[in-house]
This record gives sequence, structure tokens and C-alpha cells, in this order.
Amino acid sequence: MSEPLLEIKNLYASVGDKEIIKNLNLTINKGEVHAIMGPNGAGKSSLSYVLSGKDGYNVTSGSITFKGKDLLSQNTEERARNGLFLSMQYPTEIPGVVVSNFLKQSLNSVLKSRNEEELDTIAFMKLLKQKAATLNISPEMLKRFVNVGFSGGEKKRFETLQMALLKPDFCILDEIDSGLDIDALKTVSEGINSLRNEQNAFLVITHYQRLLEHIVPDVIHIFADGHIIKTGDKTLASELEKCGYADFIKEDTECQPLL
Amino acid sequence: MPASPLIQNIELFLDDKPSVYALRQKAGSILKKIGFPAPKNEAWKYENLTALLNHNFQISTDEHICGHDCCGHSTPQTPFIEIKFCRGKLHIEEYNTPPGLTIMPLPLALYEGEHKQYIFNSFNLEQHPFAALNGMYLEQGLCIQVQKGTHINTPVHIKYNQNNCENLQLNIHNVIIAEKDAAIDIIEEFSSTTPESYFINIVNEIYLKSNAKVTHYKIQKENSQAYHIALNAVKAQNNSSYKQYYLANGAKFSRNENIINLEQPQAQAEIYSAYTAKKDCLTDITTDINHRQPQTFSNQYAKAVLEDNSTAVFQGKIHILPNAVKTSGNQLHKALYLNDNATLNCKPELEIYADDVKCSHGASCGEIDKEQLFYLTSRGIDKQTAIELLTSAHLNEIIALIPNGQIKELFTV
Repeated sequence: MSEPLLEIKNLYASVGDKEIIKNLNLTINKGEVHAIMGPNGAGKSSLSYVLSGKDGYNVTSGSITFKGKDLLSQNTEERARNGLFLSMQYPTEIPGVVVSNFLKQSLNSVLKSRNEEELDTIAFMKLLKQKAATLNISPEMLKRFVNVGFSGGEKKRFETLQMALLKPDFCILDEIDSGLDIDALKTVSEGINSLRNEQNAFLVITHYQRLLEHIVPDVIHIFADGHIIKTGDKTLASELEKCGYADFIKEDTECQPLL
Repeated sequence: MPASPLIQNIELFLDDKPSVYALRQKAGSILKKIGFPAPKNEAWKYENLTALLNHNFQISTDEHICGHDCCGHSTPQTPFIEIKFCRGKLHIEEYNTPPGLTIMPLPLALYEGEHKQYIFNSFNLEQHPFAALNGMYLEQGLCIQVQKGTHINTPVHIKYNQNNCENLQLNIHNVIIAEKDAAIDIIEEFSSTTPESYFINIVNEIYLKSNAKVTHYKIQKENSQAYHIALNAVKAQNNSSYKQYYLANGAKFSRNENIINLEQPQAQAEIYSAYTAKKDCLTDITTDINHRQPQTFSNQYAKAVLEDNSTAVFQGKIHILPNAVKTSGNQLHKALYLNDNATLNCKPELEIYADDVKCSHGASCGEIDKEQLFYLTSRGIDKQTAIELLTSAHLNEIIALIPNGQIKELFTV
């Protein structure tokens, strides 16, 4: 019996005057991994910002329900505390804010909202070092400023470390494969796969099939012009790889997609 | 005499020893001549002094020396040589000073006569009305002297506690002398946690002889009703080094003015400031660096955070006199606005009368970075805490420059 974690209904959203999400419907159940694939400019990253409540991304109509509650009435930090996590395509550099201090503030904010006991510095550092080690993150990196001077791989491993600490119920992975070499892709994917369980869900946004060989999705959606134009199982990715997006968008029948 | 209720009870300060009396009289007659700064006065053009000058801040005429038990606080374990002023009055204590360091109440130093030459000698009294006001009430203060060749490894920590100073006017005058090859760290910490309005007017005259080093730390955390005017006047001789690290966080009206005279070749001064202009408050940093001789060096770097409806003033003058060739003077100010209602007045003034010098100045201002704010809040950190993290990150660049770890801790908000 599948239980919905996230339900998006008839969603329209815009940035300024530009409509970026046009009548989107999507339901993600607990325990599922969904992938969204689509061409550049289709609105995939915009969807991730709408879901996390970024300023300037305005929902004009429709609804989003997350864990049975109205998501749209919550601000960004409330969404995060309620278990939504966005792993960004380009994690922001924050000079002057030290990684370990940032992570402690973040984790304790989330723990507090869950009515769990906040961690003192010693307990936190112990947990942090243990989680960091499994992701090949050196103790040296924890003393640096957030994302400043991190390589592409370090940035994505750092995003994964945050997921491991915060244990969100729903993670949006926005092009987590961009900027990764094959080894780093493996480390990050293993990190994410180890977080998968019956209670949480993932939305993986990517251009390439390669990532989906490591993080195997239950459902694949093809996203174009602000909404889903095709939904299928994991074999859809290999169809795409063969034919490209253009065929799907034109609804060309020559390369008959599954479903 | 200019009309202001700040001038009162002068007769009580006229019956002292002739030496002190003469100094007070000199200050009084200069103030009479120059008056308080008018709105058109260039050095004070960004301040509205009406409220301060018309506020009836009382000169405290009670017992001049603050006793041990007056404030009921005990001395905690401290790694520093601690000196306390409570409500503007010096705690007279036995200081556990290392050899080569003398700490004396100012009146005692003046009584012995030889220190009189250091009063009103590091700046031009005629250009500083509030220092003249301070001089009229010359009484409270310290004389700190480091003997030739002595390096004092334990910092001297002067704590000024202004709790329960309702409507008081506090004038404090310190003299710091580092003799040839001497070195000392001085920390000044100003605090008030109770909400009364008061006016603290402090003058530090700092003398560095050849090769001396003085590192001056100033931490100011005062309530949002306080008025704070400080003048730090420095005379630096051959190859000496004056460094100042200033953290300002509070006071309704605060002005920290530095007059630096690089008197002899290779003297150098560095002024680092990290300040927050609090909601509805004004914070002013005014620095006047006079390069009088060749191969002198100065550097000013300030970072500001401006809260809602606050005003920040940064006036930095680099004055290079005709024979001060091969000198270098740099100045940089970076501000962060938290709100559109804040005002920043940033005025660099470079007066260069010598050839073959290197000078620079720069200023920037910006808002909180929206992408950084989004990143932090998307990790569950509330907006207010996220803004605090980003503003302290902005100021941390200055605090990170502090060489002494124990002192750096005092600067961490």
C-alpha cells in the first residue's frame, strides 16, 4: 500500500512575468525514487526552487501537499525542517561561514523542530566526523568556509553529507551528477543509495542516463515546457539516450516510447 | 563659554592642585574660544549633536575614587591584567604588574609632575571640543607606562562598566607611554547592559618612542541609549608600530576618532574596524593619519554592518606632508546593508603634498546575498539566524586578523 509523500496538483508558477511551471501534476509515494529528465530550459531547476520556496518563484495556482500538509503556506526554513531537502546544482559559496558551524546550526534547527534533543559541540563533532568519513570528506574540509574553493566533487559530497546529517524525508537532487568524475559519481551515488528507505523519497533531476545507472529510479518523467509530457519506468531513460528529447517533445511516433 | 548643560559644576574642579587646575583651565578657555561643533563643521557634518548638547548629563560630584565593593562584582579568573572603571570611576587596586610596567591613577601621575608633558600633547586641543570638555573635568583616568626595552606579554584589560549611569556624564583621560623598544597590548572594553542614557567621553593619549609597539584593542558593546565619544591620539616615533582593532556594537551615538601622527621615519599605524550600526543608532569612525616623515606606513580597513534606520559614518583622512616621501597610505571600507533605510556616509580624504608616495582608497557596499540566504534557510536555519551568520561572516574578516587568540575570543560576538 503506497502512501503519498508529495502531491502536486494543477500547479502553475512564474518568475516575474514568465510562466515556468504549467499545469504540473505529480505524486511521489514513500519509498520511491522519481527521475525528471528534460532538455535545458524546460523548468526542471525552477521546479526544485518552487518546491523549496525560493524568493521570486511564485505559485499562481494549484496546490502542493507534503506529508499531508500544505507546503505552499510554509517558508523555506519550515519546509527544510519538515523534511524537504534540495541538493543544489551549484551549491552557494559562503565566505566567512565555517562548514562545521553551519552544519551544527542547521542540524540543531532541524532537531529542535522535531522536538529532538539538540547536540552539544562534542556530540555534534563526533557525529560529523563519523558521517564525513563514510563520504571521503577530510576533517580539514570541515574547517573551511562553506563551499568556498571546493572542487565540483567536494561540493556534491558536501551536499550528500548534509543529507546524511539532516535525514530528510524528501530529497530533490538537482543535477547532482554535474561536475563529477566517475569516481566521485560513484561515491555520491553510494552515499545517496545508503540513505534510501521505505519512509523517504527522492526526486532526481538530470540530463543524463548515466546517473540513473547508479541511482536507479522507480519512475522516470520527461519534463518539457513546464510540465510532464511522458512518464515511464526506468527503461524510458535508455529510449531517451537513443532518440534525444526532440522526438518526445514533437511526439514523434517513429521512436515509440514505452507506455 | 558655549551654552550647553554639559558644562556644569566647574567650580568643584577648580580647587585642586595647581598643576591639574592649570590643565583644566587651559581646556576650559579653549572650549570657550572654539565652542561645540556647529553643523557646518566639516569633521562633524554627518552628526546631529543637538540631542547630546541639550541633554542635561550630570557630572557626578560624589566621591572621586570608586572603592572595591561599590559594584559588588568579583574578579574572575582572567589571563589579563585587569583594571576596572565603574560608572566612570577607577577602582583603585593593587595591580599585579610585571617589572617594567607602571599603572597609576592619572591624578597621582600628574602629582608627580613628570607626566604633565603628556597631557594635551598628542593632538591639537583647539580642533577637538569634546576633548576640551574632557580636559575641563580632568580627574579620572590612568597612566600606563612601559619602561625601555620591556615587552609586556600579559595584555592590560581595561573594563569600563557603565551600568546604572542614568543621566551621567563620564570623562576619562588615559595616557599610555611605550618607551624605546617597549611593547604592550591594551584592551579597552566598554559595556552597559542596563538601559539608561549616559554620555561617556574618553581621551587616550598614546606615545610610542623608537621601535615601540602598542596594540590597542577596543570592544564597545553599549546600550542603545548611550552616547560614546572617544579620541585616540597617537604620536609615533622612529620605526614604532601602533595597531588598533576596534569592534563596535551598540550605543545610540558613537564616535571613535583616531588622530595618528607618524612623527618620525618608518613609523607605522594600522587601524582595523568591524562595526555594526544598530537599529536607529549612529556609529562614526573618523581617522586622521598624518604622515610627517619619509617611509611611514598606514593602513585602514573597516567593515560595517548597517541595521534598519541606522547611520554609519566613515571619514578617513590620509595627510602626507611635503617631506614624507616613500610613504604608503591605504584605506578600504566595505559595508553591508540589512535594510534600505540605512545611511552610509563614507568620506575618504587624501591630502598628498609629497611626490613618490603610494596611496589607495576604496569603498564598497552591498546587501545580504540572496543566494547565500536561500542556501542557509533551505537547510532549516531561520532567516534571522541566517542573517546573523552572514553579517558576522562579513565582520569576521577583520576579527580574523587579530593575532592573539585569547583576545580574539573577546571579539567574538
